[in-house]
Amino acid sequence: MAGKLNPVLVNFLVAVFCGLMFMWFSHSFPDKTRIAADRVSVALSYPEMPARELRTLVQTLDNWMMERGTLHQRLHGLELENIALRTALQRSGAAPPVSTPGLVGASVTLRYPNAWWKEIRVNRGSSHGVVVGAPAMSEGFMIGRVSSVGPEHAWIELVTSSTFLLAAVVVDTWDLGVINGDDMGNIWLMYMPPDKEFKQGMLVSTALVGDYLPPGIPVGMIWGPGEVRDGLMPHRVASGARLTQLYNVQILLSGESP
Amino acid sequence: MIASAAVWLLQNFLQVLAMGFMLVPEIFLLVVSYEIVSGPLRAERVSMWLWFAFAGGILWDLRWATSPGMSGLINVGVVMAIYLIWKRTPIAGRSVFLFAVLAGVAHFLSGIAHYLAWATPSHIAVRMFLIQQLLSVPVLALLCMVYAFRRTDISV
Repeated sequence: MAGKLNPVLVNFLVAVFCGLMFMWFSHSFPDKTRIAADRVSVALSYPEMPARELRTLVQTLDNWMMERGTLHQRLHGLELENIALRTALQRSGAAPPVSTPGLVGASVTLRYPNAWWKEIRVNRGSSHGVVVGAPAMSEGFMIGRVSSVGPEHAWIELVTSSTFLLAAVVVDTWDLGVINGDDMGNIWLMYMPPDKEFKQGMLVSTALVGDYLPPGIPVGMIWGPGEVRDGLMPHRVASGARLTQLYNVQILLSGESP
Repeated sequence: MIASAAVWLLQNFLQVLAMGFMLVPEIFLLVVSYEIVSGPLRAERVSMWLWFAFAGGILWDLRWATSPGMSGLINVGVVMAIYLIWKRTPIAGRSVFLFAVLAGVAHFLSGIAHYLAWATPSHIAVRMFLIQQLLSVPVLALLCMVYAFRRTDISV
């Protein structure tokens, strides 16, 4: 009894022998082993089918996501390119800033959308002789006044700003009033008597008010009367400059006349 | 044994899913290890599991074309080693921890053997081996929990 071999050990030894024989066989007869492997693969192909389908589905989904990402990136790139081309097109259409004696030409470098009718920034500053209060012009009409100056830039408050106040005169009638914006793109000539009638197209220009602002700079033309308020009637003024296409301006230098 | 055969199919199923990305843990080997320790250590029962493990290994080799016969030999070696250690351990010492160590080491050695036989040394091969070992931890933990539960159940 004591010499009896453990059956597990016997089975183990037989299994090891079989395993080694299998290894030898598979190395000696790879073709036959391949046939066996193929048959096993065929037999397993049925239970593996859902896994294969799932794998294909995941790969298709992954490819779709990647393709979508690539298309998204491409679209974004095209959008940026489109914007750059539009900008270049607009810039090529705009005349370069021109400096003349007494006037310094400047390009608009910034115009915030949320302050569209209030202010712009230009690329000329104190190093070019620009001073606070100097009038800015476009196409021969005043479009605003320098509100702050840096060495290489200046901020211009537009005539359409609600905080912009400027003494002005109706050239044909010599009536004095105050030019004021409404932040909505409109310009108003304030403080006119209600019985005063102006003809459409009458020129409005600056009145003598300060050292940096000579009289006689055109601001715009009378467009029509507004509503009577506090016994006074504002008149709408149409700017002579195209405020929606403001790419370049000219700033009057100190002590000069346009 | 049917459940273990289903586990083999599950492992095969997962390997088909993960083909090219990673090696799935050897769930079949872990389950067979669990089966050895969770029942009586009768010679015929253990022998049956030994041949079952051998067959599972051979089929795995034929399916996944690693060194044919190697998995069978590894599985047989693992079953025999666990059987011998478990048999020589007093019943009081047959703890969950011991099972975890035995099954964990068995899985690790099996993974190493496959790695050495299959892989040319590379970072990707090492990473796949490590991921396989890490993924075996939850499976091993689950088997340990089942073993602990059944042990308590038997004790009660």
